[in-house]
Amino acid sequence: MPNRYTIQRRLPYLLLAPSVLFLLALILYPLVFALRNSFWFWNLQMGAAPLYYSGLDNYRMVFQVTPFAVALKNTLLLGFLGTFAQFSFGMGVALLLHTHLRGMGLMRAALIMPTTLAPVVAGFLFRYLLEPKGGLLPWLLEGIGFPVPPQGFLGNANTALFSIGLVDTWQWTPFFAIVLYAGLLSINEEVKEAAQVDGASPWRMFWSVTLPLLRPIAAFLVMIRFMQLFNSFDLVFVLTSGGPGTASRTLSFNLYREGLVNYNIGLTAAMTWIVVVIVSVIINLYLIFIYRKREW
Amino acid sequence: MRRLRGRHKAAVYALMALVMIFFLGPIFWFILLAFRHPSEAYTLPPQLFFEPYLGNFGDTFIDPGNNAPQLLSSVIVSSGATLLSLPFALAAAYALSRFAMRGKEFIMNWYISLLIAPPIVFVIPYFILMSRIGWAGTYQAMIVTLQTLAIPFSVWLLKSFMDEVPLDLEEAAWVDGANRLTAFIRIIIPLALPGIIVTSMFTFVFSWNNVLFPLALSKQSTTTLPVGTISFFASTGVYWGHIAATAVVAMLPPMIIFLLLGRYVVRGLTFGAVKG
Repeated sequence: MPNRYTIQRRLPYLLLAPSVLFLLALILYPLVFALRNSFWFWNLQMGAAPLYYSGLDNYRMVFQVTPFAVALKNTLLLGFLGTFAQFSFGMGVALLLHTHLRGMGLMRAALIMPTTLAPVVAGFLFRYLLEPKGGLLPWLLEGIGFPVPPQGFLGNANTALFSIGLVDTWQWTPFFAIVLYAGLLSINEEVKEAAQVDGASPWRMFWSVTLPLLRPIAAFLVMIRFMQLFNSFDLVFVLTSGGPGTASRTLSFNLYREGLVNYNIGLTAAMTWIVVVIVSVIINLYLIFIYRKREW
Repeated sequence: MRRLRGRHKAAVYALMALVMIFFLGPIFWFILLAFRHPSEAYTLPPQLFFEPYLGNFGDTFIDPGNNAPQLLSSVIVSSGATLLSLPFALAAAYALSRFAMRGKEFIMNWYISLLIAPPIVFVIPYFILMSRIGWAGTYQAMIVTLQTLAIPFSVWLLKSFMDEVPLDLEEAAWVDGANRLTAFIRIIIPLALPGIIVTSMFTFVFSWNNVLFPLALSKQSTTTLPVGTISFFASTGVYWGHIAATAVVAMLPPMIIFLLLGRYVVRGLTFGAVKG
């Protein structure tokens, strides 16, 4: 349809250019920086500049010196379990809100509070609650006979990563709940009435009508949250520092440790590229499955 | 919607009460901690009623008040990042909202891929870059690098608001002889103003809550409040009273802003993808 918009061909590109060029500069610098330095031995503690060309050594060292495989496993576990828990739990809360009983509006407004917190603050909340001596949660759990590890949930290798996932779930379930609730509101009542007339049970209706209609929203939420969980740093930093040992170390925390604690810039650069490749694969796989129509 | 009856209604309320306790209880408990005397941080069984103690806030914000400058830094960095992103994002959002062009989907998706990429990947090279160009520890180092998140987010959200400004109004202005820029300033900006304000509020909150960028790029005198809370994890012990006091001050602006945002919360948190 030819209109005045197609006539001015160049204007939209001129308008996009400042932000695109600015962002390109901001992301290409780190990527090129990392690519170049991934082939050099460079530790800031030994000098301000790269020391010598080291070929692929840094890439080997990522797997030999740092617990990369453990961090990758932890990161994926956190991503999958966290997203699943938050989606399911959030869906449940959304359905409760959708009963439209008196007071639900107010509760919905209050419910979002955890999501507004800085993740470090959420981390502190639970670090205090989970404190092995004097924390409220271990005290309550021991009161009802639930076994609490003597080092606390954050200090125990079996529960540390799980606890991080739980805190993230606490923080982001309300996000799923209110967005899915908004999705429920947008579903046409007639579709549901038609299904009811056909004699569908509430259970059947949820799986065959409601959930498929929520699919576009759900797909978007799941992608965003999975990636945010995949990038987890703040909570790990405050709650466990990746410990005990490497039990709760994530890829982001592994990068932070090598780059900003050990100042191993060359090795960090190599790890950066490995992570960039992994992230690109995940995002593209996801898009192929979910957004088949979209070109990314 | 079928109406729920007696027993079901009670069950829903009971479940909802549990949900609210689970999600708000930890925040409530932490706010109480900020008002407890440090010696009572670990008192068990827990005391719900106690003599409020204001010393934690006094220590952190007044005397010696090490956290007061961090509050100012947070305001500078978050406002700076928000203001810097706006002109870039307004232009891009207008282009994406009003023009048919090739590669639009690709550009939109490119912006969002920046939003979900691991920020740590960028932060470490920035850390080196900033010391090379003499920006180490400065506000502008944080404000500029935060744009990797602020601009893509604002473009998405602003576009969703501009899509709602009717084309007719703009065209009427052109007919009256206004050029595109005049029409943009006279029509789009005022009509999209609520959206611009909402977008700015979200960008402010996200910048406020960001810890990774200031952690890597600030120095002691420019560091922000959320990073300031971390400094109490001293080797000499954990000062829970001080952590709680600073964290409570740090959590207030985002909470207030979200309450003000009301029905826009869903839209902002989904980058404009879900209208809510």
